[in-house]
Amino acid sequence: MRKGNWLFKTIGIALLALFAATLLAGCYDSREIDDMAYVVSLGLDKGKTNALRLTIQIAIPVATGAGSSGNEGGGGGEGSDSSFITTIETPTLYSGLNMANNYISKQLNMSHAKVIVISEEIAREGVQRYVNAIMRGREFRGNMFVLVSKGKAEEFIKETKPKFEVNPAKYFELNLMSYRYTGFIANTQLINFYLQEKCTCSQAVAILGGVNRFQSAEDFDLNGSTYLEKGKPFPMEGDFIAGEVPRIGMIKSEFMGLAVFDGDKMVGELDGEEANYYLMLTGKYENSFFTVPDPLVKDYFVVLSLKTSRPPERKVTMSGDIPHISAKVKLEADILSIQSGKNYEDPKNVHLLEAATEEYIRNSMQKLLYKTSKELKTDIFGFGKSIKGTFLTWQDWIDFNWLDKYKNATFDVSVDFKIRRPGLMIRSTPIYSSEGMMYD
Amino acid sequence: MKNKRAFGNWEIICALLTVISTQIFLNFPRLMAETAGTAGWLLIIYVSVIVFILFAIISKLYEKFEGMDILDISEYIAGNIGRVLVGTILLAYLVFIISVVLREFGEDLKIITLRLSPISFVMFFFLAGMIISAFFGPEAIIRIGVLTVPVTYVAFVIILVGVLQYSDISRIMPLLGFGPKSIFIGGFPRISIYSGLILLFIFTPFIKSHKDFKKIGYISIGLSAINLTVSTLVFLLVFQYPTATENFLPMFQLAWLINYGRFFQRVESFFALLWISSALHYLSIGLFLILYVFKKTYKVEYYKPLIMPFAVILFTASLFPKNLVEAIELETKIFRNVAWVVVFGLPILLLLIGNAVRKSPVKGGEKNEKR
Repeated sequence: MRKGNWLFKTIGIALLALFAATLLAGCYDSREIDDMAYVVSLGLDKGKTNALRLTIQIAIPVATGAGSSGNEGGGGGEGSDSSFITTIETPTLYSGLNMANNYISKQLNMSHAKVIVISEEIAREGVQRYVNAIMRGREFRGNMFVLVSKGKAEEFIKETKPKFEVNPAKYFELNLMSYRYTGFIANTQLINFYLQEKCTCSQAVAILGGVNRFQSAEDFDLNGSTYLEKGKPFPMEGDFIAGEVPRIGMIKSEFMGLAVFDGDKMVGELDGEEANYYLMLTGKYENSFFTVPDPLVKDYFVVLSLKTSRPPERKVTMSGDIPHISAKVKLEADILSIQSGKNYEDPKNVHLLEAATEEYIRNSMQKLLYKTSKELKTDIFGFGKSIKGTFLTWQDWIDFNWLDKYKNATFDVSVDFKIRRPGLMIRSTPIYSSEGMMYD
Repeated sequence: MKNKRAFGNWEIICALLTVISTQIFLNFPRLMAETAGTAGWLLIIYVSVIVFILFAIISKLYEKFEGMDILDISEYIAGNIGRVLVGTILLAYLVFIISVVLREFGEDLKIITLRLSPISFVMFFFLAGMIISAFFGPEAIIRIGVLTVPVTYVAFVIILVGVLQYSDISRIMPLLGFGPKSIFIGGFPRISIYSGLILLFIFTPFIKSHKDFKKIGYISIGLSAINLTVSTLVFLLVFQYPTATENFLPMFQLAWLINYGRFFQRVESFFALLWISSALHYLSIGLFLILYVFKKTYKVEYYKPLIMPFAVILFTASLFPKNLVEAIELETKIFRNVAWVVVFGLPILLLLIGNAVRKSPVKGGEKNEKR
């Protein structure tokens, strides 16, 4: 009898397990991977016939996997063989996806979307209605990037035809993380953007993207450079915003600088150099090549491999209603190039280069900080975090209204910069010509 | 004939950890953020201290009633009427919370992964697991926790460590959140977060001695306090207040963020599997408690014939809330505010009366279970 019970139980459990496995795997929610169309990027523009013009870049898995050159769909052209692009006008993001599902044979899936490109026009009006929808969606991921395009998002996506990467998702993933070794953009993953946008002590930034306007090297000009407004005699590598970098080749779209937000509205831009300082002041700077004017020889440069040595020390004190913000940034560098041939590697001279670099970075940072407080009136650096801890209750903090006080802030930046290594050369020896010693 | 069955201390501790800490996978961290703002994690520490004190009082009062659960004590005080009254209160309490949690887990699973499946279809699988567990009896239900709890702990730690890259200490400032009043006075009813301790007062006959009872209680409360505090602290460090109050499934949304390089990401799918096993363990314990209390309250000799009727009752009751938000409101606004009356108020009251009535120790715990 006992043996019979045991047998009955075992068969019953086996049948139930089989029943459960069959039902759970096959009913209602079963989806074949092959039945899905994986979205790589989404572009949001203001529509002509409806509120939103939605551009969807969809991966073609066969081409992505095999590196095939077969071209399917309307994206067309070089480098876009592994994806196609469709644009649709729609009232909302999800209704657009629904409309697209109607003419795409596979069902759109957002779980591999890497970037959301928002046109500057929409960003200046406010992005909350779209960002909220994305955050609520189950398929979107927090680590996708938020990007603001100068000009149309549709054009930006269409012009993103990577040469190196067959897989467009990998292109975005790698390129949008390049801030770690260029400093020209920042990590503006959706989750960071969303939390900053809703923060009471900090405001959001997004990567600035654009389609480069130059067709050939002969067309190059500096009309779009920011060097003049920063009072420089010539542009450095970061004195540009996206779309304005004098370059041709590889890919038309580019990332350079940051879009600055106040709440959910874009209120300004930072160029590539300012993005570097943004990263340094927020402790997110890793390393990059960094050019400073030679302290002794006019029109010559010293190029450094710059990196953060310690996280920045930031302090906020209040004098009445005026915040006084002090920040100490600690950097170190290896020398990559001394165009003038001056012997800055020498311990007797190194302090000259260090002091000049400190002063150069300090002045630029001061200008940036005042730009964000007086002109843009938005604390993208999150200085509010430094004073938030001095309040005991939430209501006290909200009544204090930091984001409003930031516009009156005064700043005191100090930079502690040290040259650590001279590269592969320990000293610069002079060059001799028929006229004798040059570049002593 | 005596039919005394006793579980090991660690087995009961695992069961208690499941019934107390599983709420972390539902909405617990968000609830703390709603109650105390940035000080949600402090609130748990405060509540845990109170629960420690209350448990110390209860275990002291329990000394004379070794091996007796609160139904035995109520019968000792007021005979059949007392037992039926207390048993009915416990039954209503358990049916309410288990049906609501069944609905919540079903809805959560629907949102996370089974988007198109009907809610009844999703809940059916939880219910099937609960029914099978009940047929296997208390040994299977309690002892399976020894396997599931450590695995769940590993997943829990992976999630918490994995999201530390997104944490920022300024997010838990101002330290006192909504202020001392909301923490220390308004937060008192939140001792209901330890409502799972009811298991200890019902399963007393399955515990070897009063010394073990105390040991199990203190360890369970201590470990649960750590689980609840750490989960809320990490959640608030990652999602600042008030954004934290937006998140429907806090732990899932933390797992959703885990991303190390291009290869280590999307771990929430793995997490969902463990989360479901933990949920199933919780619900199985819940159904067995209902059956056990009913059997003992109404002196029914066998509990197995009650399994299907109660499964149907729970299933039906779980469909009463019109939508998920209503189910969450029932759990967070009603249950988590008043459960302390049943979990702490009722045992203390009964034990006070019991101690007043009887001066010498009473032995109980015989015939604790018959299938």
